[in-house]
Amino acid sequence: MNGKIGSDLGRSAALAVLLWVVATHASAVPSFARQTGQECAACHVSWPELTPYGRFFKATGYTIGKTFWSSDKPGVNYVPAAVMAQASISSVRNNSATDPDTGDTTSVMPRQNLPVFSGASLFVATKLNDYMGIFYQWTYDNLAYDDAGVRKGHSSIDNTDLRAAYKYAPENADIPDWIFGLTVNNNPTVSDLWNSSPAWGFPFATSPLAPTPAAATIVDGGLAQQVAGLGAYAWWKKTIYAEIADYRTANVMANALRRGLPYNDPGGVFAVTRNNPYWRVAYAHDWDVNSIMLGSYGMVANVYPDNLNTTTPTDRYSDVAVDAQYQYITDVHTVTAQATYIWEKQSYNASYPITQETGSGYGAGPTPANPTDRLRTFRIKGSYYYERVYGATLAYFQTTGSADEGLYGTTANGDPNTPNSNGYILQLDYLPVQNVRLLLQYTGYGKFNGARSNYDGTGRNASDNNTLFFDVWVAF
Amino acid sequence: MTIPYTALLAAALALAGVVNVASAESATPAGGPRTPGEERAINLCSTCHGPRGISTSPEFPILAAQREGYLVAQLEAFQAKTREEKAAHDFMWGIAGNLDAATIRSIAQYYASQPPAAGRPGDPALVAKGRELWEKGVPDRSIPPCASCHGAKAEGVADFPRLAGQHTKYVTRQIEFIQTLTRKAPVMHGIVKDLTPDEMQAIAVYVQSL
Repeated sequence: MNGKIGSDLGRSAALAVLLWVVATHASAVPSFARQTGQECAACHVSWPELTPYGRFFKATGYTIGKTFWSSDKPGVNYVPAAVMAQASISSVRNNSATDPDTGDTTSVMPRQNLPVFSGASLFVATKLNDYMGIFYQWTYDNLAYDDAGVRKGHSSIDNTDLRAAYKYAPENADIPDWIFGLTVNNNPTVSDLWNSSPAWGFPFATSPLAPTPAAATIVDGGLAQQVAGLGAYAWWKKTIYAEIADYRTANVMANALRRGLPYNDPGGVFAVTRNNPYWRVAYAHDWDVNSIMLGSYGMVANVYPDNLNTTTPTDRYSDVAVDAQYQYITDVHTVTAQATYIWEKQSYNASYPITQETGSGYGAGPTPANPTDRLRTFRIKGSYYYERVYGATLAYFQTTGSADEGLYGTTANGDPNTPNSNGYILQLDYLPVQNVRLLLQYTGYGKFNGARSNYDGTGRNASDNNTLFFDVWVAF
Repeated sequence: MTIPYTALLAAALALAGVVNVASAESATPAGGPRTPGEERAINLCSTCHGPRGISTSPEFPILAAQREGYLVAQLEAFQAKTREEKAAHDFMWGIAGNLDAATIRSIAQYYASQPPAAGRPGDPALVAKGRELWEKGVPDRSIPPCASCHGAKAEGVADFPRLAGQHTKYVTRQIEFIQTLTRKAPVMHGIVKDLTPDEMQAIAVYVQSL
């Protein structure tokens, strides 16, 4: 144990040295910045939030700037890779849980108030040719725990998006009238241009250790890095945007898109059928220093309840969401706001009958007490940045849904429990240089997994999970 | 079982190839081939500087009808990293760094030949004060009239830039940069070094109204 703590402290110290080196050599910037010769501020209000120019850069397939290899001189123009790392300290308001039967007390979260090296990502992010580019992320999670509760660092693929795009400006056009593109990616909404949809939405970093609410809709990260999708999009006069995609389990030839995920473990990842459509439409408008987007997105996912058995019937998750974004961007002041509301209908066409019949589901799959359930998630956040250095963010989140004893157990009164959770996030950011972020985040819960008080039958209250999180986040 | 997905991916890549060919064709519209500058201005510069160089955000200057020689000089200054205020450093060094001399000239010609942005009226008192400074300068403080180099209607003369219709915020910020030597413009520095913030604002509101 001491050895582990020592090794973590060693890593933290090494990271501190690295941070110092990066902070004092601010010319070191990630690969897209090396590709374009532009600074982070060109594409990001505050990373990962995109500016209008950043959306154009993404929509046009990451192709602005140079390719990394040089055809007219030996060698490369720039290194097409980048590294990101995070170190953090988390503190949960009440870190003790008491077993009501034995009276034994255990920690809810490991490493309370101790510095941890959270993990690091390697990116290959670059223009491939005038029409294609790639964003590929591989992440090492230093805080992965195995079944026995032993910390065991683990690395796996993260968000990945290979794009091909084309700008069409007919005669007499003064901007590209159309931007068309194709995307191959491994996470519904990762291809999106706005920061109100889940993959690139707030919060951009949270405690890797603290307890978080259990229920989430499937478009809200449920299939991240488990599926492979091919999408096509079109953006007309940078005003009307539409995208359709089809996702399926990232196996066989697409296996690389879920590399490192526990797809052979019962319940480890989702297994879906061959066709799971995703769609996105948006109206966008930029004027003066303002930018607005109103949109909708959603998907239908047909999921095998037992991820190791694709011979059974499937459950269907149908998600429809609306979202909006507003940005006010000047050199000194920036204000951004995003909101989304996701409705999900869960049709347990496979799991409900088998649960009724046998009392258990397929494999490690769900055991719903209702044939259909609903799940709804709402999130809204607003941020202000001064000179892109000092930032403050306030966010509210809420998930509500059907009471279902089979999925969520029972309340203290013995009634079927709900997945309901809500809370707020207060966050302060400081970016001493553009590729180093220090953030202090407080998450407060009003409800947690169904209740305000005694949500888990051990007397634990939602507010006991309130979390203070300090994070050092660098990219270079 | 694996064919459809591989086929889709192959189709995607093939389509990218088709698009590659198609784009070469579409770059030659009926009215004649686009110049490299037109191609670049329409497909890239317009993202920030607006259609035909008329930006809506005052963070980015209007380029329509700007003097060709001035545009060439600025793109060369971004390329040589001798114009180094923050926006130049963050946005333009990278963009200009990828341009050759012929494309720079071609972009400058494109914007110089575009119709100018319409003037936007401002506070009448400020406009009147700005006009006074523009036409007469401040003889007591040896500040010459702006019109003597930038033209009676701020239309620009030779390589001296057009300021008519330019965003107020952009003009005031550039005068501040020149005043503080953040932007190196020795001749202009000598002229604007004693301008007060109120005078800068009046001049900028006036030129935006033209």
